[in-house]
Amino acid sequence: MPEAIEIQLKKGALELCVLALLSKHDSYAYEIAAQLADAIGMGEGTIYPLMRRLQSDGLVETYLVESSSGPPRKYYRLSEAGKKNFTSQQAAWKSFSGAVESILGGAK
Amino acid sequence: MTRQAFMARLREGLRGLPPQSVTDIVADYEAHFTDGEAAGRTEAEVAAALGDPERLAREIRAESTVARWREERSPSSAAAAVFAVLGLGAIDILILLPILMGVAGAIIGLTVAVIVCFFAGAFVFAAGPFTDPPGGPVTAVLTGIGIMAGSASGGALLTIVSIGLMNALVWYGRLHYRLLKPALEQQA
Repeated sequence: MPEAIEIQLKKGALELCVLALLSKHDSYAYEIAAQLADAIGMGEGTIYPLMRRLQSDGLVETYLVESSSGPPRKYYRLSEAGKKNFTSQQAAWKSFSGAVESILGGAK
Repeated sequence: MTRQAFMARLREGLRGLPPQSVTDIVADYEAHFTDGEAAGRTEAEVAAALGDPERLAREIRAESTVARWREERSPSSAAAAVFAVLGLGAIDILILLPILMGVAGAIIGLTVAVIVCFFAGAFVFAAGPFTDPPGGPVTAVLTGIGIMAGSASGGALLTIVSIGLMNALVWYGRLHYRLLKPALEQQA
Protein backbone atom coordinates (compact mmCIF):
# COMPACT_ATOMS: atom_id res chain seq x y z
CA MET A 1 0.00 0.00 0.00
CA PRO A 2 2.68 2.57 0.92
CA GLU A 3 4.33 1.74 -2.40
CA ALA A 4 1.29 2.86 -4.39
CA ILE A 5 1.18 6.13 -2.49
CA GLU A 6 4.85 6.69 -3.08
CA ILE A 7 4.50 6.18 -6.84
CA GLN A 8 1.60 8.60 -6.97
CA LEU A 9 3.54 11.22 -5.03
CA LYS A 10 6.62 10.88 -7.21
CA LYS A 11 4.59 11.02 -10.36
CA GLY A 12 3.05 14.31 -9.34
CA ALA A 13 6.34 15.80 -8.25
CA LEU A 14 8.61 14.77 -11.10
CA GLU A 15 7.70 17.42 -13.64
CA LEU A 16 7.74 20.11 -10.96
CA CYS A 17 11.23 19.01 -9.88
CA VAL A 18 12.55 19.18 -13.43
CA LEU A 19 11.14 22.68 -13.87
CA ALA A 20 12.63 23.69 -10.54
CA LEU A 21 16.10 22.45 -11.47
CA LEU A 22 15.92 24.28 -14.78
CA SER A 23 14.73 27.46 -13.10
CA LYS A 24 18.02 27.55 -11.19
CA HIS A 25 20.23 27.01 -14.21
CA ASP A 26 20.17 25.47 -17.67
CA SER A 27 21.08 21.84 -17.64
CA TYR A 28 21.45 18.70 -19.72
CA ALA A 29 19.47 15.52 -19.39
CA TYR A 30 22.12 13.42 -17.65
CA GLU A 31 22.60 16.00 -14.97
CA ILE A 32 18.86 16.32 -14.40
CA ALA A 33 18.46 12.56 -14.31
CA ALA A 34 21.36 12.11 -11.91
CA GLN A 35 20.00 14.67 -9.48
CA LEU A 36 16.46 13.37 -9.58
CA ALA A 37 17.38 9.69 -9.53
CA ASP A 38 19.27 10.17 -6.29
CA ALA A 39 16.74 12.46 -4.70
CA ILE A 40 13.44 10.85 -5.60
CA GLY A 41 14.45 7.47 -6.92
CA MET A 42 13.04 7.44 -10.42
CA GLY A 43 14.30 5.39 -13.36
CA GLU A 44 16.89 7.33 -15.32
CA GLY A 45 15.40 6.36 -18.68
CA THR A 46 12.24 8.20 -17.71
CA ILE A 47 13.81 11.60 -18.11
CA TYR A 48 14.04 11.57 -21.90
CA PRO A 49 10.38 11.01 -22.69
CA LEU A 50 9.55 13.58 -20.03
CA MET A 51 11.90 16.16 -21.57
CA ARG A 52 10.45 15.45 -24.99
CA ARG A 53 6.96 16.02 -23.65
CA LEU A 54 7.95 19.26 -21.89
CA GLN A 55 9.53 20.39 -25.15
CA SER A 56 6.46 19.61 -27.24
CA ASP A 57 4.31 21.40 -24.64
CA GLY A 58 6.57 24.42 -25.14
CA LEU A 59 7.77 24.60 -21.54
CA VAL A 60 11.45 24.01 -22.30
CA GLU A 61 13.75 24.82 -25.21
CA THR A 62 17.00 23.18 -26.24
CA TYR A 63 20.29 24.45 -27.54
CA LEU A 64 23.58 22.74 -28.33
CA VAL A 65 26.85 23.50 -26.59
CA GLU A 66 30.13 22.33 -28.07
CA SER A 67 32.01 20.11 -25.67
CA SER A 68 35.73 19.43 -25.52
CA SER A 69 35.14 15.69 -25.48
CA GLY A 70 32.62 14.01 -27.75
CA PRO A 71 29.65 15.43 -29.63
CA PRO A 72 27.93 18.72 -28.71
CA ARG A 73 25.74 18.46 -25.67
CA LYS A 74 22.03 19.30 -25.67
CA TYR A 75 21.11 21.79 -22.96
CA TYR A 76 17.60 22.57 -21.78
CA ARG A 77 16.31 25.92 -20.58
CA LEU A 78 12.90 27.10 -19.44
CA SER A 79 10.87 29.01 -22.00
CA GLU A 80 8.75 32.01 -20.97
CA ALA A 81 5.73 29.71 -20.78
CA GLY A 82 7.82 27.27 -18.74
CA LYS A 83 8.74 29.96 -16.23
CA LYS A 84 5.12 30.97 -15.80
CA ASN A 85 4.04 27.35 -15.52
CA PHE A 86 6.70 26.71 -12.88
CA THR A 87 5.72 29.72 -10.80
CA SER A 88 2.07 28.72 -10.71
CA GLN A 89 2.82 25.04 -10.04
CA GLN A 90 5.25 26.02 -7.32
CA ALA A 91 2.64 28.17 -5.60
CA ALA A 92 0.05 25.41 -5.86
CA TRP A 93 2.49 22.85 -4.48
CA LYS A 94 3.49 25.07 -1.57
CA SER A 95 -0.03 25.76 -0.44
CA PHE A 96 -0.98 22.09 -0.82
CA SER A 97 2.07 20.66 0.94
CA GLY A 98 1.73 23.28 3.67
CA ALA A 99 -1.83 22.14 4.30
CA VAL A 100 -0.86 18.45 4.33
CA GLU A 101 2.09 19.20 6.59
CA SER A 102 0.00 21.01 9.17
CA ILE A 103 -2.49 18.12 9.28
CA LEU A 104 0.25 15.47 9.49
CA GLY A 105 2.05 17.45 12.16
CA GLY A 106 -1.12 17.63 14.23
CA ALA A 107 -1.66 13.86 14.13
CA LYS A 108 1.08 12.78 16.51
CA MET B 1 24.63 -5.38 -20.53
CA THR B 2 27.13 -3.44 -22.62
CA ARG B 3 26.42 -0.09 -24.16
CA GLN B 4 26.48 -1.59 -27.61
CA ALA B 5 24.01 -4.32 -26.74
CA PHE B 6 21.67 -1.82 -25.09
CA MET B 7 21.74 0.57 -28.03
CA ALA B 8 21.32 -2.24 -30.56
CA ARG B 9 18.26 -3.57 -28.75
CA LEU B 10 16.80 -0.08 -28.35
CA ARG B 11 17.32 0.70 -32.02
CA GLU B 12 15.82 -2.62 -33.03
CA GLY B 13 12.78 -1.88 -30.87
CA LEU B 14 12.32 1.58 -32.37
CA ARG B 15 12.22 0.34 -35.94
CA GLY B 16 9.27 1.72 -37.84
CA LEU B 17 9.29 5.15 -36.21
CA PRO B 18 10.21 8.12 -38.40
CA PRO B 19 14.03 8.10 -38.92
CA GLN B 20 14.35 11.62 -37.47
CA SER B 21 12.78 10.63 -34.15
CA VAL B 22 14.83 7.44 -33.97
CA THR B 23 18.00 9.51 -34.49
CA ASP B 24 16.97 11.93 -31.73
CA ILE B 25 16.06 9.22 -29.27
CA VAL B 26 19.17 7.17 -29.94
CA ALA B 27 21.36 10.28 -29.60
CA ASP B 28 19.79 11.01 -26.19
CA TYR B 29 20.60 7.58 -24.83
CA GLU B 30 24.08 7.55 -26.39
CA ALA B 31 24.78 10.84 -24.64
CA HIS B 32 23.49 9.31 -21.42
CA PHE B 33 26.06 6.51 -21.64
CA THR B 34 28.85 8.96 -22.46
CA ASP B 35 27.97 11.17 -19.51
CA GLY B 36 27.54 8.20 -17.21
CA GLU B 37 30.97 6.87 -18.07
CA ALA B 38 32.46 10.32 -17.62
CA ALA B 39 30.93 10.28 -14.15
CA GLY B 40 32.78 7.04 -13.42
CA ARG B 41 30.02 4.47 -13.87
CA THR B 42 30.38 1.29 -15.86
CA GLU B 43 28.32 0.58 -18.97
CA ALA B 44 26.50 -2.16 -17.11
CA GLU B 45 25.51 0.21 -14.30
CA VAL B 46 24.19 2.82 -16.71
CA ALA B 47 22.27 0.17 -18.68
CA ALA B 48 20.74 -1.23 -15.50
CA ALA B 49 19.64 2.24 -14.37
CA LEU B 50 17.95 2.85 -17.70
CA GLY B 51 15.90 -0.33 -17.61
CA ASP B 52 15.04 -2.96 -20.18
CA PRO B 53 15.72 -1.48 -23.67
CA GLU B 54 12.98 -3.48 -25.41
CA ARG B 55 10.38 -2.40 -22.91
CA LEU B 56 11.60 1.19 -23.16
CA ALA B 57 11.40 1.07 -26.96
CA ARG B 58 7.90 -0.41 -26.92
CA GLU B 59 6.63 2.31 -24.63
CA ILE B 60 8.31 5.09 -26.62
CA ARG B 61 6.78 3.68 -29.80
CA ALA B 62 3.33 3.42 -28.31
CA GLU B 63 3.61 6.99 -27.08
CA SER B 64 4.69 8.33 -30.44
CA THR B 65 1.97 6.53 -32.39
CA VAL B 66 -0.58 7.78 -29.89
CA ALA B 67 0.74 11.31 -30.37
CA ARG B 68 0.33 10.91 -34.12
CA TRP B 69 -3.23 9.67 -33.63
CA ARG B 70 -3.97 12.79 -31.57
CA GLU B 71 -2.70 15.07 -34.31
CA GLU B 72 -4.14 13.27 -37.23
CA ARG B 73 -7.38 11.33 -36.86
CA SER B 74 -7.00 8.90 -39.72
CA PRO B 75 -7.68 5.17 -40.00
CA SER B 76 -3.98 4.48 -40.56
CA SER B 77 -2.84 6.40 -37.49
CA ALA B 78 -5.59 4.65 -35.50
CA ALA B 79 -4.42 1.25 -36.66
CA ALA B 80 -0.80 2.09 -35.82
CA ALA B 81 -1.80 3.23 -32.34
CA VAL B 82 -3.91 0.12 -31.73
CA PHE B 83 -1.05 -2.19 -32.68
CA ALA B 84 1.50 -0.28 -30.62
CA VAL B 85 -0.79 -0.32 -27.58
CA LEU B 86 -1.43 -4.04 -28.06
CA GLY B 87 2.33 -4.48 -28.34
CA LEU B 88 2.70 -3.29 -24.75
CA GLY B 89 1.27 -6.61 -23.76
CA ALA B 90 -1.06 -4.57 -21.64
CA ILE B 91 -4.15 -6.18 -22.92
CA ASP B 92 -4.45 -9.90 -23.27
CA ILE B 93 -4.57 -10.20 -27.02
CA LEU B 94 -6.41 -13.53 -26.98
CA ILE B 95 -9.27 -12.02 -25.07
CA LEU B 96 -9.26 -8.71 -26.80
CA LEU B 97 -8.72 -9.65 -30.40
CA PRO B 98 -12.15 -11.24 -31.05
CA ILE B 99 -13.86 -8.29 -29.39
CA LEU B 100 -11.74 -5.82 -31.33
CA MET B 101 -12.43 -7.61 -34.62
CA GLY B 102 -16.14 -7.68 -33.81
CA VAL B 103 -16.18 -3.96 -33.06
CA ALA B 104 -14.09 -3.13 -36.12
CA GLY B 105 -16.38 -5.31 -38.27
CA ALA B 106 -19.48 -3.63 -36.92
CA ILE B 107 -18.01 -0.18 -37.56
CA ILE B 108 -17.05 -1.09 -41.12
CA GLY B 109 -20.50 -2.61 -41.75
CA LEU B 110 -22.26 0.47 -40.41
CA THR B 111 -20.01 2.72 -42.48
CA VAL B 112 -20.95 0.83 -45.64
CA ALA B 113 -24.62 0.96 -44.68
CA VAL B 114 -24.44 4.71 -44.12
CA ILE B 115 -22.77 5.26 -47.49
CA VAL B 116 -25.33 3.08 -49.28
CA CYS B 117 -28.18 4.92 -47.58
CA PHE B 118 -26.69 8.23 -48.64
CA PHE B 119 -26.54 7.21 -52.29
CA ALA B 120 -30.01 5.68 -52.11
CA GLY B 121 -31.19 9.06 -50.80
CA ALA B 122 -29.42 10.81 -53.64
CA PHE B 123 -31.07 8.47 -56.11
CA VAL B 124 -34.54 9.11 -54.69
CA PHE B 125 -33.79 12.84 -54.76
CA ALA B 126 -32.62 12.88 -58.35
CA ALA B 127 -34.66 10.17 -60.04
CA GLY B 128 -37.76 10.06 -57.81
CA PRO B 129 -39.59 13.05 -59.33
CA PHE B 130 -39.54 11.43 -62.80
CA THR B 131 -41.04 8.11 -61.78
CA ASP B 132 -44.46 9.51 -60.92
CA PRO B 133 -44.17 8.69 -57.19
CA PRO B 134 -47.08 8.59 -54.74
CA GLY B 135 -47.52 12.07 -53.24
CA GLY B 136 -45.99 13.88 -56.22
CA PRO B 137 -42.45 14.91 -57.21
CA VAL B 138 -42.00 17.31 -54.28
CA THR B 139 -42.50 14.46 -51.82
CA ALA B 140 -39.88 12.41 -53.62
CA VAL B 141 -37.37 15.28 -53.54
CA LEU B 142 -37.97 15.90 -49.83
CA THR B 143 -37.77 12.18 -49.04
CA GLY B 144 -34.45 12.00 -50.87
CA ILE B 145 -33.07 14.96 -48.92
CA GLY B 146 -34.35 13.41 -45.71
CA ILE B 147 -32.61 10.09 -46.35
CA MET B 148 -29.34 11.83 -47.25
CA ALA B 149 -29.45 14.05 -44.16
CA GLY B 150 -30.27 11.06 -41.97
CA SER B 151 -27.37 9.01 -43.28
CA ALA B 152 -24.98 11.98 -43.01
CA SER B 153 -25.84 12.43 -39.35
CA GLY B 154 -25.55 8.66 -38.87
CA GLY B 155 -22.06 8.88 -40.34
CA ALA B 156 -21.15 11.73 -38.01
CA LEU B 157 -22.38 9.80 -34.98
CA LEU B 158 -20.43 6.76 -36.13
CA THR B 159 -17.25 8.84 -36.39
CA ILE B 160 -17.71 10.23 -32.90
CA VAL B 161 -18.30 6.75 -31.48
CA SER B 162 -15.22 5.32 -33.24
CA ILE B 163 -12.98 8.12 -31.99
CA GLY B 164 -14.35 7.61 -28.49
CA LEU B 165 -13.69 3.87 -28.59
CA MET B 166 -10.20 4.47 -29.89
CA ASN B 167 -9.41 6.95 -27.13
CA ALA B 168 -10.74 4.54 -24.52
CA LEU B 169 -8.43 1.83 -25.82
CA VAL B 170 -5.44 4.17 -25.82
CA TRP B 171 -6.25 5.35 -22.31
CA TYR B 172 -6.45 1.77 -21.11
CA GLY B 173 -3.20 0.81 -22.80
CA ARG B 174 -1.32 3.75 -21.33
CA LEU B 175 -2.23 2.62 -17.83
CA HIS B 176 0.17 -0.22 -18.47
CA TYR B 177 3.35 1.71 -19.11
CA ARG B 178 5.91 0.60 -16.61
CA LEU B 179 9.01 2.58 -17.40
CA LEU B 180 7.50 5.74 -18.79
CA LYS B 181 4.69 6.11 -16.33
CA PRO B 182 6.00 8.99 -14.27
CA ALA B 183 7.13 10.88 -17.32
CA LEU B 184 3.91 10.93 -19.25
CA GLU B 185 1.27 11.52 -16.68
CA GLN B 186 -0.15 14.95 -17.40
CA GLN B 187 -0.42 17.14 -14.36
CA ALA B 188 -3.74 18.72 -13.67
